[in-house]
Amino acid sequence: MKRYFYTLPLLAATLTMSSCFKEEPLNSECDITHVSLHTDNPLATFYQLSDTAQNVLSTDSLISFEVRRDHEADLSLLTPTLQLTPGAKAVMTGSEVDNATGGKWYYQVVSEDGHWHRNYTVEVRPMARMTNDTVRFDFEHYELEPKGHYYVWHILRNDGSSAGDWANGNPGFSLSMGSAKPDEYPTAPLADGYDGAAVKLTTRSTGPFGAWVNKRIAAGNLFIGTFDMASALTDAMKATHFGQVFDRQPMTLTGYYTYQPGPTFQDPKGNTVADRTDQAAIYAVLYRNHDDQGNAVTLYGDNVKTSPQIVAIADMGMVKPTKEWTPFSIDFNYLSDIDLDLLKQRGYSLTIVFSSSADGDQFEGAIGSTLCVDKVRLICKKEQ
Amino acid sequence: MTMNKIKALALALLPALAVNTQAKGLMDNMELKMHLGYNIGGTAPVGMPASIRRLNSYTLQPNLVLGVEADKALDDRWGLTLGLQIENKGMKEDARVKSYHEEVVRGGEKLAGMFTGDVTTEVTEWMLTIPLHARWQATNRFSLHAGPYLSVLTQRKFTGYAHDGYLRVGDPTGAKVTLGGDESTRGDYDFSDDMRHLQWGIDFGGEYRIWQRTAIFANLSWGLSGIHHSGFTAVEQTLYPIFASVGVSYRLKHR
Repeated sequence: MKRYFYTLPLLAATLTMSSCFKEEPLNSECDITHVSLHTDNPLATFYQLSDTAQNVLSTDSLISFEVRRDHEADLSLLTPTLQLTPGAKAVMTGSEVDNATGGKWYYQVVSEDGHWHRNYTVEVRPMARMTNDTVRFDFEHYELEPKGHYYVWHILRNDGSSAGDWANGNPGFSLSMGSAKPDEYPTAPLADGYDGAAVKLTTRSTGPFGAWVNKRIAAGNLFIGTFDMASALTDAMKATHFGQVFDRQPMTLTGYYTYQPGPTFQDPKGNTVADRTDQAAIYAVLYRNHDDQGNAVTLYGDNVKTSPQIVAIADMGMVKPTKEWTPFSIDFNYLSDIDLDLLKQRGYSLTIVFSSSADGDQFEGAIGSTLCVDKVRLICKKEQ
Repeated sequence: MTMNKIKALALALLPALAVNTQAKGLMDNMELKMHLGYNIGGTAPVGMPASIRRLNSYTLQPNLVLGVEADKALDDRWGLTLGLQIENKGMKEDARVKSYHEEVVRGGEKLAGMFTGDVTTEVTEWMLTIPLHARWQATNRFSLHAGPYLSVLTQRKFTGYAHDGYLRVGDPTGAKVTLGGDESTRGDYDFSDDMRHLQWGIDFGGEYRIWQRTAIFANLSWGLSGIHHSGFTAVEQTLYPIFASVGVSYRLKHR
């Protein structure tokens, strides 16, 4: 009869095993992770070898390539090479590409499990020529992102064509404060600015999620570059990718601002720092976007003002608090001579940065600090 | 649950037994026992979803079982056993998941999405359990039992964190956010307050007498109620407590 007893653990084991592991499910992701354009003689079409390929952020669905104005390749014969998340399949749903002026390819990517899809546009176009010596940023072209959580700002060239979007930390803020309304985000529009709409940057509390990871505040920011959501929680400094290729020599940054520091400055642990008043930041940086070995360089939050790649900085320094719209004008301070050939070869990138708390990237600042900016002008050296 | 609380409970139960022993008429054909054991098992979905890929680690928890039981013989073979025990059905495990629906909640703010990576879960469930078993005496030494149990939870904890992977915010097409391995970069969750106070299920087991008053037992407690309230959706599947206990029982009063 003893054997009855020994069957008990076996019975238990059999019942427990009914919860055993199943076959691996098919992948549900449907991203383009990398795009490249192949030509036989890439430098006759692209300015730099690194311009022929790019990684795609999970939040992007438009991938743009810029080629030489005198590109050798027939752009209509190019075929983008896509890398996808494992198992996904891409179908080109259409294309309109001219041999000289470029155009767009449209893709639908379907996940391995067939349940999810994403639409992408890959674009190729000759580098736009800046015809004016002054670049205008008026912050008039903003809209809610597709899911309606927060605003995005488009940058339009003087001829009205799109030059991408202003980057900001709103996507990161949405992770911690999913309940916030669009106007409660750190970066929001101000409908009645100095001249039409302005942008309003406010240092906000990141709520219970933020407190728990000692990232208690989110400064309102706006910059030329991209915001990489993937790093937002693990390495916030690496989430801000500063700069876009710029082929003119910037001399002066001007605009109008108002600034009110918040009442209580706090350190990363949320402790009040009694003798400190919050500071805003307004600056622009021009840097070489390739190192001496020819590797592409992007500046991040931790080196945007200190990298040896920097060629010129225009930094306002102290942003004096003012309730009235106040003009500012900052000259670029060149640390080294600019190489005009390299400038033509897309060898320089420019970023312009506005932040309601200068040390917001260290999660220090005062909740409520508000910087409004409008009618920004980047004045470049006249071309001979 | 500290050792002190367990001791206090044992002391509280013993006088109750002493009083009962004096109620002679009722005690005819009645056997009284106490038992001490250990629970091993987990709170798990029944029918593992494909999104759970493998178990990385499993850590034993202080899952003591301490109780008393009264057995009323109905005839030579059959009896009815009513018990009262305090026990912990705790678990700590780390599992690999792929595209697993997760919600991280903190102070009213919620972050939901599909997570691929590792998830650590720690569960503590101290409870008072009343088992009611039908006993079948197979031999002089060996008996089998089966029957329902009802548990009242006195301490509930269901916490954990998603780590070393990435979250797709909302659904698989949402923004991809990397989660790290340390406290500041992982995604913690705490669903303790969403746990039910009452659990019930079915016991199966047996007991083998090895000495005059001493027996060893094994028992499987199969939970039929999920550990969370029915409206709880943060975890993809309903989790059931499925634990096996082994231990020693000691006969306090002979029939």
